[in-house]
Amino acid sequence: MADYYDELFKLCGFEDEEIEEERTRIEKTFERLGIGPKDMEDANSWVRQNHDVTLKGVRKLLGAWLKELIDLVLAKDDGKKIVYIGFPAILGPGLMLSASSEDVFVSAPDMVLDHTMGQIFNKLTPILEAGEANGLPSGHALCSLWQAKIGGVAMGMIPVPDLALASSYFCDMGSKADDLVTAKYGVPVAYIDGVMDSKWGEYPDYLPERVHYLGAQINQALKKASKVLDIRLAPDAWERSQKKSQPYVNNLLRLLDLMRADPVPVSMVELELLEALSSSSTGRGIRDGIKAIEILIHELEGRVKAGIGATEKGAPRVMINFGHTSDPRVTHLIEDVGLAVPLTRILAWVGGPSFKVTRTYHTPGEKIANYELAAGMFHGTDASIKRFQKGADLMKLDGFIVNYLYNCRPSALGSHIYKKHLEEKTGLPVLAIEEDNFDSRAYSAASLRTKVETFAEMLKAKKKSAKG
Amino acid sequence: MKALEKLDSHLKTRLTDLSKAKEQGRKVIGYTAGGYLPEELILACDALPMCFIQAGDNTILKDAMAYTCRWVDPFWRSQIGYLTSGKNPYYTITDLIVIPITDNHTRAFSNTLGFYTPQIESFVFGVPHVKDEYALGYYLQGINRLKKKLEDFTGVEITESRLKQSIRLCNRERELFRQISLMRQSENFAVASKDFVALNHGSFIADKVVMVEILESFAKEAKDSAPLSKDGPRILLTGSTLARGDSKVMDIIEDTGGVVVMEEFAEGIHPYWGTVKLDGDLMANLAESYFMNRVCPGWFRPGTERLYFLIKLAREYKAAGVIWYQLMYRESYKVESYFFPDMLKKETGLNMLTLESEYDAMETGTMKTRIETFIETMRS
Repeated sequence: MADYYDELFKLCGFEDEEIEEERTRIEKTFERLGIGPKDMEDANSWVRQNHDVTLKGVRKLLGAWLKELIDLVLAKDDGKKIVYIGFPAILGPGLMLSASSEDVFVSAPDMVLDHTMGQIFNKLTPILEAGEANGLPSGHALCSLWQAKIGGVAMGMIPVPDLALASSYFCDMGSKADDLVTAKYGVPVAYIDGVMDSKWGEYPDYLPERVHYLGAQINQALKKASKVLDIRLAPDAWERSQKKSQPYVNNLLRLLDLMRADPVPVSMVELELLEALSSSSTGRGIRDGIKAIEILIHELEGRVKAGIGATEKGAPRVMINFGHTSDPRVTHLIEDVGLAVPLTRILAWVGGPSFKVTRTYHTPGEKIANYELAAGMFHGTDASIKRFQKGADLMKLDGFIVNYLYNCRPSALGSHIYKKHLEEKTGLPVLAIEEDNFDSRAYSAASLRTKVETFAEMLKAKKKSAKG
Repeated sequence: MKALEKLDSHLKTRLTDLSKAKEQGRKVIGYTAGGYLPEELILACDALPMCFIQAGDNTILKDAMAYTCRWVDPFWRSQIGYLTSGKNPYYTITDLIVIPITDNHTRAFSNTLGFYTPQIESFVFGVPHVKDEYALGYYLQGINRLKKKLEDFTGVEITESRLKQSIRLCNRERELFRQISLMRQSENFAVASKDFVALNHGSFIADKVVMVEILESFAKEAKDSAPLSKDGPRILLTGSTLARGDSKVMDIIEDTGGVVVMEEFAEGIHPYWGTVKLDGDLMANLAESYFMNRVCPGWFRPGTERLYFLIKLAREYKAAGVIWYQLMYRESYKVESYFFPDMLKKETGLNMLTLESEYDAMETGTMKTRIETFIETMRS
């Protein structure tokens, strides 16, 4: 029997039988999240306003996030052993854990809350406020992704995990906030430590000891996880995790190839839905996400053939750092002012410009570490900028928008260097703007509009004058 | 105290002395704060170690704004400002800058150095954030690479006997700091915190042999002097950074009648609790002492070792309260400042006051009110 939420779930790619199958779980989830009939009208209109729901692939992607949300909220009820991974996550360890036991649920809950409570229900603010009231106050440039995680737990929306897998290889805030979770809820933490100590200009090289150290940390964290969760790490966990994630990467590469078209066939808002999925989910989210991308690819191939795009043909093309995880209006703003966005740095990390993985290692940890250091994200600022730079050739860019996260030190510390380096090396204009990519309360689309609009006008004029 | 006068006079001519030493072919090796660079290695190749520890002046932050955003801790923004503006002669006199990468704030400085001032030779090595055998191994590899770099750069081989000699000297310095600090565990002591901090700050710049002589004299003077006539509440002051030039909080505490009896800071105070062993593999001993045995700063995870150490210090130094002085945007300390007060209260019954600074004169008024209130609470 149809219920008040059916329309929204259909809008988010659920088939009728899927809704029936999930009905009890949906209701239980909604109850815990405080979502009721009154929220549906807003959610429906919010999704329609912000997402291209004419594309089935987009609807299915939204559905994949909803399934991830349901599984997250009900993980304890389902008897799962819960592992929360810190973001940005190295892909392998979480996948290896979930590949080792059906009883383990691995997720990045903050990203799930952003993409669902933010992008679908537009109800993230109370969760962020709960995070602020529980150890991560506003006004101190603390990570709003972590505010969502702490807030979600504090409000009883998402369960207290059995283990935290800390991303100690990237930011200081994440692992320290894991300490906060330990202090508040007694959650054990397996730290994956690494040190971004590359000398400027070192990338694409890196010291073998960095691989050994990060690799050993990953192996050690997996060992601790097995002990805490009381599971046996499957001997072929690495191969199985690869098997699970490879189709995602392959599909992403196909999708990015389509984004080289002019006009770009789809808004970056939709690609953002999948850019975060791979490092947030190891369960239904990623499985359904892979299927959704396949559908999307098919649909976009059709659009490319027909010359249909998210922006006008000939629109200046810019690469950005990342799409907004909770408020699509911020990403839309860039396109609304007439710029096409074919690539983000996060997409480039997973499947953008090619890079060489030169050494061979044998333990899963070292294999993962070697890949990640070659990919650049966890190498250092110099590497990240060079990956950005490569995007210019791949996507025939006209400029860059370096939207750095003010409350994320690894992102913010490159605020000025990115601009100068990219302008000097590519000759393309760069707009560096301060943003909070996870929380639009202080950095809304409206507040950023003047800067982005002016930049867009400049790029358009430049392109026009180049054409003569 | 005469020892402090000697330190003052030594520091007044330090830049000239460094210039003269450079003329004679010796190298000045600048390094960043945090206590993870074994000065022994620099001394063993007959070079002159010099730590960048100046900060506290808000105006230098404006210079830094051309190179980084405001969301980096003001101590590290100050270092960026000094590096790029040429306003700190200790930066301009340096032949090589060594950066032990501790957290992302240090990395902001390292990136600026690498990108904006590539003409300045630099060397980086990483300090892991956890304590285990792999982390120790990684740190050891880093300082081994540093040893090689210093040997190549100075042309002086760091032999076992030279390294042993410099370890002895630095051990003596640590031992003296420890000895002076411990005097403050008694009810009657003659060591003012501001003097102890001045000695620490001086030791980052002074000639090591001269510094040890100064500390010897100071220890003797302190033993022979009459106790400080202070009856205010005993304060444990802690945080990430206590820079040379950042005396605001200490001044206010003193003015309002509080007595700082212990300072625990990752940047600005020498880690003086340990001693480097002189037998066996000296490089391994340095790693063991500088990395593994040292109580870790707040950016280590978990940070519980330091938090329990603070509780121990509070007990041993008979503190009546804790003042947690953190710099804006140093997230590791900010997050810990949320849950540490409960731990402290539970273990010791003490209260904690949290203060934050952007090195801004505007903060002084509110800081004063808060410190006054805190001290009054302890008195009542």
